Amino acid sequence: MINIVIVSHGDLGDAMIRATEMITGPTEHLFSVPLLPGESPEGFGEKLAAALQGIEGEEMLVLIDLLGGTPCNVAARQVLKGNVECLTGVNLPMLLELVMSRNDASLPQLAEAIAQAGREAIRNLGPMLNK
Amino acid sequence: MNAIEELGLVRIDDRLIHGQVIAVWCKHQRFTRIVVVDDGVAADSFMQEVLSLAAPPDLQVDVLSIEEGINSLGESAPDRGTTMVLLKSPLAAKRLYDGGLKYSALNVGGIGSGPGRKHIFKNISASEEEIAILRYLMDKGVEITLLTVPGERSKAFSDLAGKS
Repeated sequence: MINIVIVSHGDLGDAMIRATEMITGPTEHLFSVPLLPGESPEGFGEKLAAALQGIEGEEMLVLIDLLGGTPCNVAARQVLKGNVECLTGVNLPMLLELVMSRNDASLPQLAEAIAQAGREAIRNLGPMLNK
Repeated sequence: MNAIEELGLVRIDDRLIHGQVIAVWCKHQRFTRIVVVDDGVAADSFMQEVLSLAAPPDLQVDVLSIEEGINSLGESAPDRGTTMVLLKSPLAAKRLYDGGLKYSALNVGGIGSGPGRKHIFKNISASEEEIAILRYLMDKGVEITLLTVPGERSKAFSDLAGKS
């Protein structure tokens, strides 16, 4: 099963996992690595490496909260590994889609599909509802 | 008569370029160029690409080693006034200064916690050695301000260190 790792500022990743599990029920191979206030990039890097130790060599999709933020800048190096893809701008629809469909496609295809799902989930409701 | 144009900002931030903070600074003050001066990043082409992604698109991003920084950011460098120099540590700031790249003001914007470091202000931690280095620069006449982004509460390092 493809591993899902969320890297985020503070508790966002943990909260997204809780929100996802409210909808899908308990999930496996899904965890988050938070950057805490005052934590150095090096400290976060070590924490990330320790968290990934148990799944080294396995397929992994890294969901990053903010392009250009410290979690992104530190975690981006993971993408150099052959069996890892990284997506930025993670939102709840992306995570839901991923949890429900992660075994249906190859990792690169899945990464593209999830990026598209994230973009398509953002709507301006007013015009759609003829406001 | 030509006064030396000061560097726009010399900043210590161990996160270097991280999008939002840089964006806030760039709204407050006009920059055309960000120069990361760090030996590690200067030797790491992948990290240079990642940091360029994090920068606002209209800014030129350069990464230099400390030695290159000393040699190329001096008085004759173009656009000094709109250049933001980013450093990871007080030691890097001292090496630049002692190497001949003088600056009159230094912004300490972020130093994460770590072994041997204690918290000094907001998101800034420092070891005894790093505090001694900042004191050294202060005694040279550098005005050191602890500030994450403009508009937030700041603190003069001299208030923290005590006048000597």
